[in-house]
Amino acid sequence: MSNATSVDEATSTRASTESPLAQSRTAGRIIAIALNAFREAVRDRVLYNLVLFVLLLTAAAVFIGELSGGQERKIIVDLGLSAMLLFGVFIAIFVGVGLVYKEIERRTIYVIFSKPVGRGEFLVGKYLGLCLTLLVNVAVMALGVSIALIYVSRGWDPLIKTIWPAVLLIYLELMILTGVALLFSSFSSPALSALLTFFVFIIGHFSADLKTLASSMGSTGARLLFGALYYLLPNLANYSFITPAAHGRGPEPGFLLAALLYAFVYIGVLLAAATLIFSKRNFK
Amino acid sequence: MMKSESTSLFGEQTRTISLSLAIVLGLILTVFLARWIDARRPPIDPAAADESLYLNGKTARRISLGFNGLAADWYWMRSLQYVGRKIMNLPDNVVLDSLEQLNLRLLPSLLDTSTTLDPQFLSPYEYAAVVLPAVDVDQAIRITKKGIEANPLAWRLYHQLGYIYWQQHEYQLAAETYGRGAQIPGAPSWMEAMKARMAAEGGSRSTAREIYSRMYEQSSDDKVKDMARRRLLQLDALDQIDGLQKMMVAFQNRFGRCPTTWKELEPVFRTMRLPLGEDGAPLDPSGTPYIFGKTHCDVQVSSKSEIPVK
Repeated sequence: MSNATSVDEATSTRASTESPLAQSRTAGRIIAIALNAFREAVRDRVLYNLVLFVLLLTAAAVFIGELSGGQERKIIVDLGLSAMLLFGVFIAIFVGVGLVYKEIERRTIYVIFSKPVGRGEFLVGKYLGLCLTLLVNVAVMALGVSIALIYVSRGWDPLIKTIWPAVLLIYLELMILTGVALLFSSFSSPALSALLTFFVFIIGHFSADLKTLASSMGSTGARLLFGALYYLLPNLANYSFITPAAHGRGPEPGFLLAALLYAFVYIGVLLAAATLIFSKRNFK
Repeated sequence: MMKSESTSLFGEQTRTISLSLAIVLGLILTVFLARWIDARRPPIDPAAADESLYLNGKTARRISLGFNGLAADWYWMRSLQYVGRKIMNLPDNVVLDSLEQLNLRLLPSLLDTSTTLDPQFLSPYEYAAVVLPAVDVDQAIRITKKGIEANPLAWRLYHQLGYIYWQQHEYQLAAETYGRGAQIPGAPSWMEAMKARMAAEGGSRSTAREIYSRMYEQSSDDKVKDMARRRLLQLDALDQIDGLQKMMVAFQNRFGRCPTTWKELEPVFRTMRLPLGEDGAPLDPSGTPYIFGKTHCDVQVSSKSEIPVK
């Protein structure tokens, strides 16, 4: 089923219910696009990476004990959450950059925009669809890590409680990265978008160095440039809580809340920028 | 029409079978070829195994992109493999804390990198405290102190640093270290007792017994536990040897010569209710018979015993 059909259904349902609220209509259209993007990801076998993840974790749970000198619990958390982040980054980048491009290539975007669907609604719907895919992916993986911990500890393990805040932070990082991928794909080719998003992922983890560079530079221009880059690029290092989680330490509630707010604000900015650029493109 | 359909079906089946056969045969062939190549590959240069690490800890941490915990685990397991590979060729009764004969040149860098990548990872510090003093005591102290700096509330690290000082016969430093560790909230009361014992009788056997008992209790690493267990057995054996030595001296005083066989001492051993082997030799705490020294006037732990000689 294409997006066009799905949106068609959504608009016809909307027409039949004749909701007076424009907002709920917008929400309906976004949800229709999001669910369709999710279904498309499932159809494209994106979630097959879970099989690989389960195999990796099972092998680790069974064999790592002999290699780790009694540190299998820590290694399972490190391995599980790192794999979650890595697989998630690949999905966010490679599926994210194709979200808009595929619709353009198949020319279905013309059908979608011939209906009362806004550019912003389309982008937000696509974005939420991929976020839903990532949510399912991350949740299943976190469950897998918890089960592996239960297996190696032969019962309840206190680490199970501490990994979930780290999982939430990983998910937020993936949401930001998906937003970045969507922004680049709104004006660039998939290959270039993937490359640029990957650079943002790397630089996002070097934020502390950018700040140090900014403060240590002699020239005012360079100081301003690196300072601007530090605040402009997402600070993804704030979402790295894998290592503390493996030691049974979670983030403070205040930190978690701030990270949540930062992610939502940053994603809002990314989607607004993507919509702004996308709305300038001619699909008539 | 029917004929052409059955012909095409037959062709498809033939193709499937031949392709499946090609896959199976190809895989079998690759196994044979891999074995052939392995048999003819020149031996690995031993120096290559000790090649310096390309990255230091700080660089590795910087480029780890949030995967620093996993990278630390990798360096940790690499440290274990590195020691494990070298230890394989040694006799069974060599323990983890006396590996000075091995050229463990890379071990300090591996442990340092692991702890720089994940400063809260305590196992590499413990390993450094146990294995490194025999290789490079300065590095062992430096890495353990680094651990204390990164984990000021981990009293176990003070125990490990105190252990290094104790091994170096620096009893005053050891006492101070145990004293500082004892002040940490949650530190067990024996840390304070250890401080006093180090200051008063640092070189005694009872202090050694206390240290290894605590190490055995506290460690989560099976290899370290095994080392502590064997050191405790060694201390028991030293006590037994002292007793046996006295019996030898008594025998010598009575007969004017050293015993030639264990049978001559068997009645005494039986009176003392010592466990004996088939030839009447007393058994050490691991259950292996003791042996005579060169002159038959002294007793030694057998090289077959799991109790370390050194």
